[in-house]
Amino acid sequence: MNGGFLLRARRLLAILLALGPGALASAASDMDEHAHHHHVMNWGGVVMNENTDRLPRGCAAVSGDVAVTVHAGRRYAAEVPGQIFGMSQHELAVPPCSRVTVTFVNEDEVRHQWMVHGLPKYLYPAGMFHIEAMGGDERTGTFIVPAEDRTYLIHCDMAQHMEKGMRGQLVVGRGSGDLWAVSGISDAFYRAPYLPGAGYTALLIALALALGFVGARLLRRRWIRREPA
Amino acid sequence: MGRRRGVWIGMAALALLAFPPQWYPDGVRLTLTRWFGAADYRPLPASQSMNGDGGMAMAPAADGADEGVFCPEDLAGRRAAQEIDGVVIAATPTCAADDPYLIAAAVRGTNNVSADTLNRSGLTPDAVEKGRDLDGDGDPDEIHIRLEVAELNGGSPLSRQPVTRYDIAPGIEPGLWVFAPKLVGMAVENFESQVARYSLRLPSPAIRIEQGDRVRITLENSHYMPHTLHLHGADHGFVDVAGEGNDGVPITSEVPVMPGFARTYELTPRHAGTMFYHCHVQPHVHVQMGLQGLFVIEENRPDNWLQTLNVGAGQVRVRSVASRERYDQEYDLHYLDLDKQLGERIRRHNDPRLITRSMHREYDVTDATQDYFTLNGRSFPYTFRESLVVAEPDEQVKLRVVNGGSKGMALHTHGHKFTVTDLDGVPRPEAARSAQDVVWLATAQRVDLDLSLVNDGRQSYGPGIWLFHDHQNQGVTNDGIGPGGNISAIVDPEYLSESGWPRTRGVSFAPYFTEAYYRKEVPVWEAYAPGLFSDPAPDRWLLGRLLVLCLCLGVLAALVTGWLRRP
Repeated sequence: MNGGFLLRARRLLAILLALGPGALASAASDMDEHAHHHHVMNWGGVVMNENTDRLPRGCAAVSGDVAVTVHAGRRYAAEVPGQIFGMSQHELAVPPCSRVTVTFVNEDEVRHQWMVHGLPKYLYPAGMFHIEAMGGDERTGTFIVPAEDRTYLIHCDMAQHMEKGMRGQLVVGRGSGDLWAVSGISDAFYRAPYLPGAGYTALLIALALALGFVGARLLRRRWIRREPA
Repeated sequence: MGRRRGVWIGMAALALLAFPPQWYPDGVRLTLTRWFGAADYRPLPASQSMNGDGGMAMAPAADGADEGVFCPEDLAGRRAAQEIDGVVIAATPTCAADDPYLIAAAVRGTNNVSADTLNRSGLTPDAVEKGRDLDGDGDPDEIHIRLEVAELNGGSPLSRQPVTRYDIAPGIEPGLWVFAPKLVGMAVENFESQVARYSLRLPSPAIRIEQGDRVRITLENSHYMPHTLHLHGADHGFVDVAGEGNDGVPITSEVPVMPGFARTYELTPRHAGTMFYHCHVQPHVHVQMGLQGLFVIEENRPDNWLQTLNVGAGQVRVRSVASRERYDQEYDLHYLDLDKQLGERIRRHNDPRLITRSMHREYDVTDATQDYFTLNGRSFPYTFRESLVVAEPDEQVKLRVVNGGSKGMALHTHGHKFTVTDLDGVPRPEAARSAQDVVWLATAQRVDLDLSLVNDGRQSYGPGIWLFHDHQNQGVTNDGIGPGGNISAIVDPEYLSESGWPRTRGVSFAPYFTEAYYRKEVPVWEAYAPGLFSDPAPDRWLLGRLLVLCLCLGVLAALVTGWLRRP
């Protein structure tokens, strides 16, 4: 059941090694408080399944470069009723075959992620491109989007972060229709009713029914009276 | 007119005839008995067949045929004794075992292990940092632990199913909040699954530090509600070095840590002992949601490399020097009861405003009853996968027990009497110690137990599969269905199969591994007495007469109201 996880962990290791094994190794031998913090800040996050040159099927060449900086944190949900976490933009629209470079800036003091799902698995293991930034840190990663018009899910996969606001969509070309519950873009599939109290609502419903009943009768009378005898 | 009366009389007569004789007034029945004797024998309805319900209806008594279901294979090789980065990790004899890489990283420190071990552990490089050896005794005394807050079995605007799923028993997924080790990557096990990853679970991890360590614990509040960390029973200042609140209590010490923010708590404990940590925000709700863990302070010894995190509590696979001096094994036992009606509130809405209102104003803890009873985050039968105490004759076992539940519990062992050596992290005087087989644990109380496997007829009655559980009746059920709750067992290795499943001699466990059993759909003795105590089929004869009677009464009602009259 954890085979996939181990695979990913190995991939993560490869990336870490590429980022600089020296950082880890030096921290291991150095107990100095300052170096200690330095190492942590050096680490700062992970980019998984980066792809700067391998072309998706149907792409003759990279159609163009798109660079975007996405900020994440509570700040970006502060003005949105009923959400806790947010991103500076929840939709990213790019032409097919674009090379997209995302700089993900985490403004909170906890981890956040920017993950795209459903990409072709022959280029992106598990169909996923993933940036993770520790609190107060940022990471940049690049990937190339496929040739088809399609809408992909972007989210943070920490428990409840997607549900509480960190849900976005990547629209390639004309896309394939909005996903549900994308912050500021589409409605929740399951939406609470937000009605006034049960008694008050029942009273309003009863009043509306009574008004309809009485009103219809009154209108009918008037209508009958108007009819020529 | 005559025809009308005919219908009346006919219908009334038919109704009278259809009226089931077993419902005649007793006087009428006795009179009839005098005239005609008793009614003829009519066999009672046959037992309803279980329609094979997963094939369990006819499962023979404990034959081990379903061991693969009871005890999933250890494909990742977590159970074996192993040495990782110089950390010697004891074997786990039970089916499910903690991730040894996470253990190694928690012992050496995530800043000290090899990159390979760190990445296999899933921890971030700053999850458990170990710094200088301040007293020069060969082990690190600067410890910095980072904890996040995760929601299990929560709600979603997209699905009626829980997300980041975690089952405490088959089909039972109560909403939970836990303090979690700081893990890299996704909260779920893979991209197609909504199941929480292996090390993300109930209970919050047991934390182990050494007496005199300079400990910092950073709470990174990754949850959508405010939380704090309160170090119950552990020696800590009311304020930290910088003068900031350090007790985790919103009404006296500090403003809670808001979502997305972090705060560091500090302590340098002067005494060893088994303590507790929990959230102190709206504690009557947050503590019973699962925001609580064991907090163990070990005696200061040379070269004392501690397993700082024990994920899911249970067996301590890398033990302290003091534990190795006096005991052969050590276990962390974390008991927690849960209220189904509280946990489900996090799934009812997705809007945090509605969840907050529901949990903190509409939920009334003074009217609450507990439904689930967990040991180390699971209930029976899953406790048999991971919470067995496996011990050989003559072993000395240390059990550190906390009751994190809302109600007291009466911990009882079969086949053994244990001795309470410490109460709430303080040693009891030798003269006050005696063997017991029931110990009462008030809410939040800790006891350290000596479990001796010396077969002297008192401390132990010999090898076997001996249950230990809360002896209060509700504690051995899952929402009222038994067996369930916090039942686990002390098992001699002779009674354990290779896979780690106990060689029980009683009834088949097959029904207990079905969701239907805990949905109250399966007769309790169906597996070994098929049909004998099953639900009877409906009595078609009685039902038929009842329907004819009602038909006649309907016709009579139509006649009475004049419904049949032509206009």
